[in-house]
Amino acid sequence: MSIISVKHLKKSFGENQVLKDISTEIAEREVVCVIGPSGSGKSTFLRCLNRLEEITSGEVILNGHNVTDHKIDINRVRQEVGMVFQQFNLFPHKTVLQNVNLAPIKLKGVAKEEADKRALELLEKVGLKEKANNYPGELSGGQQQRVAIARALAMEPKIMLFDEPTSALDPEMVGEVLNVMKKLAQEGMTMIVVTHEMGFAREVADRVIFMDGGYIVEENKPKELFDAPQNERTKSFLSKVL
Amino acid sequence: MEAAMNAMPYLLEGLKMTLYIFVIAIFFGFIIGLVVAMLRLAPIKPLQWIAKVYVDIIRGTPLLVQIFFIYFGLNSLSFISLDNVTAGILTVSVNAGAYLSENIRAGIQSINKGQTEASRSLGFSGTQTMRYIILPQALRRMLPTFTNQAIITLKDTSLLSVIGIADLTQRGEVQASATFESFAIWTTVGIMYFIIIYLLTIISNYLEKRMVIR
Repeated sequence: MSIISVKHLKKSFGENQVLKDISTEIAEREVVCVIGPSGSGKSTFLRCLNRLEEITSGEVILNGHNVTDHKIDINRVRQEVGMVFQQFNLFPHKTVLQNVNLAPIKLKGVAKEEADKRALELLEKVGLKEKANNYPGELSGGQQQRVAIARALAMEPKIMLFDEPTSALDPEMVGEVLNVMKKLAQEGMTMIVVTHEMGFAREVADRVIFMDGGYIVEENKPKELFDAPQNERTKSFLSKVL
Repeated sequence: MEAAMNAMPYLLEGLKMTLYIFVIAIFFGFIIGLVVAMLRLAPIKPLQWIAKVYVDIIRGTPLLVQIFFIYFGLNSLSFISLDNVTAGILTVSVNAGAYLSENIRAGIQSINKGQTEASRSLGFSGTQTMRYIILPQALRRMLPTFTNQAIITLKDTSLLSVIGIADLTQRGEVQASATFESFAIWTTVGIMYFIIIYLLTIISNYLEKRMVIR
């Protein structure tokens, strides 16, 4: 039973068709890494899943909700889907703790003490409990991204979307973020990760999707895709990045 | 010097009126500015037009003309009757609101798009995002321009003397013509305005330091 089902997804920005025809199924607890050259549409694909981008045509069913249907309460659906961004996008006017507990308090009506307790547990999980009362601006990039993961997890999502979570980080901070993500994957979170970290994809992913020119060119288990790519474009891309 | 001292109680009464009008007008001006900025940014075209026409009209006409229009023009209509202080407060509020709405709009638009995306991805609605995430950051960022507008508005209230409001400027005129001590009186009036505006600046600087986003 798939938790995400994408059928003939197309997305255009004006004349420019970024996603040409995307269909795929993602199972519960599956970890899928999406790789591909820049401009291939991988981030747009991810952003269509929770309708951060309006979908031009096609269908996205997410945890039983038809995301493409404009009659659904998209805000409700988004509560079930955490998202982590390349630029972290923490709320700079709120402390780390407030970043994490804001959504549960305001959207789920969780009592403040309960939300604080849960937020501190999550911060402990990402190794930042001692930074709870700091502001995002006082944290390093890697720390900010770990807070962003905790913030997304605070809503207890069924699915986590990662949009190039380590691309804006200094190299020495990439590891700490990937470790948190690895732990999450081991706990059985359904994850879709757009990434350039081939090592992470190989080690953690159940499946790797290679996108190019708005299409899924090839998808397979990481070992197969990295060691024996079938498509010429996959081969050419991998020869440049590996 | 003596003329100034003698006029002081009378001028202080005028200063009270000036501050009374200023505080009410800047409060309503801010509310109007906030509402108009929201209309301007609303995803509904007619609302945007209403906001734009309002701002264009206010910015495109002199404040003095607006004062005459509201006090004499509107009052000439049989079903409207405004006393001069009400008309004055109304005019200055509506005027400040137009300028403030542009400041607020610019402040909102200066907030990185990623903030909205992060908030929406958590499940916040557009309105909640504005309230919890965007406005708190935008208002902090626009504090210096808000102070600037507040200072302009305070000085604008001096024009209300033309419709007979007994503010600081109007009382200055009365004193100057009654005593023939124009130099002393107008120096005193100027110093009074200056002190109030300087206090505003100090408060603003203090708030700016406290509200800085680390």
